[in-house]
Amino acid sequence: MLNDLLFRLRSLFRRKTVDAELEEELRFHFDKQVSKFVQSGLTPAEAKRRARLEFGGMEQLKEEHRDVRGVSFVETLMQDLHYAVRQLLKSPGFTAAAVLTLALGIAVNATMFSLVSAFLLRRPPGREPDRVAVVSSVNPAGGFLPDVLPVSAPNYLAWREANHVFADMAAAEDRTVSLTPQDRSAEESRPEALRSAAVSPNYFSVFGVSPLLGRTLAEGEDQPGHDHVVILSHELWERHFGSDASLIGRTIRLNRENYTVIGVMPASFRLLGFTPQLWTPFVLTAAARKDRSLYLFARLKPRVTLEEARAEMATLARRAGETFPETEKGWSAAVRILPDFLVHAFGIRNGIAVLMTTVGFVLMIACANVAGLLLARAAGRRKELAIRIALGAGRLRIVRQLLTEGLLIALLGGAMGLLLAYWGIGFVGANLTFNEAISAVPLSLDWNVLLFALSVSLICALLCGLAPALKGSQTDVNTSLKDEGRAASAGRSHSRLRTVLVTGEIALALFLLIGTGLLLRGIFLVEHQNLGFQADHLLTASVTLDNARYKDPSQQTLFVRDLISRLQQIPGAEAAAVASDLPATGPGTVTLQIKGQPELPANQRLSALEVLVSIDYFRAAGVPLLGGRTFTETDSATAPRVVVVNQEFVHRHLQDRDPLGKQIRLDVKGATPEWSEIIGVVGNVKSYSEGPNDDPEVYEPLLQRPVSSFSLMIRTTSDPNSLASALRNAIAQMDAELPLARLMSMPDVIERQRGGNPFFVTVLGSFAILALILSAIGIYGLVAYSVGQRTHEIGIRMALGAKSPDVLRMILRDGMKMTAVGAAVGLTLALPLPKIFDAMFYGLQLRDPQLYFVVPAAILVVAMLATYIPARRATRVDPMVALRYQ
Amino acid sequence: MADRRIDLPQGTLDLLILRTLALEPQHGWAISERIHQVSSKALFVQQGSLYPALHRLERKGWIKARWGASENNRRAKFYELTALGRKQLEREESAWRKLAAAVAQILETT
Repeated sequence: MLNDLLFRLRSLFRRKTVDAELEEELRFHFDKQVSKFVQSGLTPAEAKRRARLEFGGMEQLKEEHRDVRGVSFVETLMQDLHYAVRQLLKSPGFTAAAVLTLALGIAVNATMFSLVSAFLLRRPPGREPDRVAVVSSVNPAGGFLPDVLPVSAPNYLAWREANHVFADMAAAEDRTVSLTPQDRSAEESRPEALRSAAVSPNYFSVFGVSPLLGRTLAEGEDQPGHDHVVILSHELWERHFGSDASLIGRTIRLNRENYTVIGVMPASFRLLGFTPQLWTPFVLTAAARKDRSLYLFARLKPRVTLEEARAEMATLARRAGETFPETEKGWSAAVRILPDFLVHAFGIRNGIAVLMTTVGFVLMIACANVAGLLLARAAGRRKELAIRIALGAGRLRIVRQLLTEGLLIALLGGAMGLLLAYWGIGFVGANLTFNEAISAVPLSLDWNVLLFALSVSLICALLCGLAPALKGSQTDVNTSLKDEGRAASAGRSHSRLRTVLVTGEIALALFLLIGTGLLLRGIFLVEHQNLGFQADHLLTASVTLDNARYKDPSQQTLFVRDLISRLQQIPGAEAAAVASDLPATGPGTVTLQIKGQPELPANQRLSALEVLVSIDYFRAAGVPLLGGRTFTETDSATAPRVVVVNQEFVHRHLQDRDPLGKQIRLDVKGATPEWSEIIGVVGNVKSYSEGPNDDPEVYEPLLQRPVSSFSLMIRTTSDPNSLASALRNAIAQMDAELPLARLMSMPDVIERQRGGNPFFVTVLGSFAILALILSAIGIYGLVAYSVGQRTHEIGIRMALGAKSPDVLRMILRDGMKMTAVGAAVGLTLALPLPKIFDAMFYGLQLRDPQLYFVVPAAILVVAMLATYIPARRATRVDPMVALRYQ
Repeated sequence: MADRRIDLPQGTLDLLILRTLALEPQHGWAISERIHQVSSKALFVQQGSLYPALHRLERKGWIKARWGASENNRRAKFYELTALGRKQLEREESAWRKLAAAVAQILETT
């Protein structure tokens, strides 16, 4: 093998020497033969003649020898490349068009692929992340990502003990903590609400990560009294503590208590949507089964497969369901490998899939265009090819030659595309910042992207080059050499293939436009829907009361009462309220029982969204009261329980009967069930601002069910953001160590919640338009070319009496025929799109029959324009010139 | 030209070259001459097949070439068998003998 390689290399790089040696060797042989003949009695001249006769062609022998040496492939390639470069330089216009088209196609693909590389391909940190599994709960009731829900503490304990598939299992709970700055004098040093995770001590060892500084949690630090230690994320350490290495061992104040910093994790320890700012020990306390709050990270035992782990956890979950049917019935457990889980839970896969499909189509259209250009050129080069074939070039040789040209164009396009992609990735990275986890993931032109771009270029080379190459190699020497010159309408078969290409382009473009249109329309509808409350002029923030100071519900109630009265005094505040959730931000679900209806088992009960609100909530949010009354001061903790429901509740759960005075009982966790009276009905508020759903909703007075974590809102007379500092001061006066989180106007809240939609819209929209432009260029190119080819024919027609409009109509008809066929194919392909998108994007409802008329119409118009320009040129043909035209 | 020559079956040339080189290193002309002589002039190797065959064998590592001086002191390329080539020769020889015996047997019995 090695010998073979050396031999080939020597042949390749020392071609001159090798050729000379061969020459010498053969010369020696020849001379020997001559002298042999001379010895046998011939004259020297006769001997030479005979030797030469025997020898055959010296050059032919050398050529054969070269084939044996195995260099011909590379040598031919070099020759072809050389030739291709010359060909491309000869027609710079064509080259520029083809390279630019491919560059655009490759650039958008490489740019989008950087998302794939960053989000889907990046390996999570730690040792063998593919052996770390994540166990989550599966909600039998469905909903948004129902299979990545957290697990309850009792299940964690039971499963950790009972399973045989995991070597170790750790738990993590998402929390919000307040960090009080050391230096409280500065203006900027307000307490800060941070995302933290309470984790079991083995958490870091399950991942197999080591800290950058200090240590991770030790055994026993999850015991009360030893649990005041904290590990910081690299980001927090850098931003808040100025990368101070001496921080280890010092104390910081979290939730009003002192915690010792024991470690700092490296920046690489990031788990997409599960990346907190700091970690504290998780102290196990008695927790309810309904309280699902833990994510379980577990390392698989050696040789245990994911399927075995799945089966085991399913069994354990079923066992829990049998033992505790009240709370666990129907619930099961899902097991995913860490990388898979992170991507799945992040919910970005579908968006990326749509983007990648779109850019894939754009690339296909670009390739079809370039293939069309090459075909047109191949038609023009028929004579050249025919001559080459006549001179002995093999069919394969011609195919290779033309493919090499395609390759060169594709590689040039790829190189240029990468340059564009470099810029594109920067742009996307700068704009993809709608949430912390997204903006924390760096996008870059990495090896994956580079390799992807290279393979895409090679595929392009094949796609663009193959059709013209095969076509070109079929050139019939006789007809080509004869046919050239005076053909009435030359190159029928060439233009037929191009017609197919352009028809395909139109179909793809139509499909893309409809798909994009559906998504954009769905997003537009959601963005402009009536949310059921007045979002403008609302300032909001959220507060989490910590256990240290507000453990008792009465303290919480007191705080809220004080807070509201202070907020109302802020100048410019019209109304102020507090609620467990802001409107349209997806509140929690509660199951319920209506008095007088048969008692259903826990997993079949009616359900509704549950929001706890202060008295002024409906006025402040602008939710209209439709009947009965809203809450008052008299609905206190000791008064009879009351609730307000929304219209959808009345419609769905009470079949539109009069709800006032009806009694319902909510299954609130940790509370004794009590009957409550419905005292009012309010208008529907969208469950999520990013979806069209109106769900049954129940409002309870905060006074009757105080909570420690809530949002506040102020209805303002002027720009809500102008009241922000007054709000901060009001809170600071009440409690200097209480952080105010997510301080922003309601429109900003909604904007954030809708996440990447605007970005998605912009990107998708521009890709669809790019596709349309490319296919328009394709149509234009084809029609212009065929008009050029038919100049002679048109000249004859006009000489025989055809009028300009006749010619125009004839050419337009050809263009329209292609467009119509392409549009029909595209429409058929696009029919199942709404169904597909419905399944992919939660909450977007995409029924828009108009699009199926509007888009084809738009395509027809664009195609008409692209056809019209060259068609008009055809009508200006002067018969005399045309007939002479070659 | 006298046509007592036999066309070489495919692959036999390699065997003949290896066999010839098994005795001593030789240059191309000498190889073709030797085959010619030893086969009582029945076999004649064309240069057109000899040199490509030599270079093919060299590429496979069965023979190696070096430049040396010929009988009349001209620079000539000498080929010699490598250890690998010697093994290959043994293999091909026994294969050939088996084949020849089998063919002969069929020709005699049918």
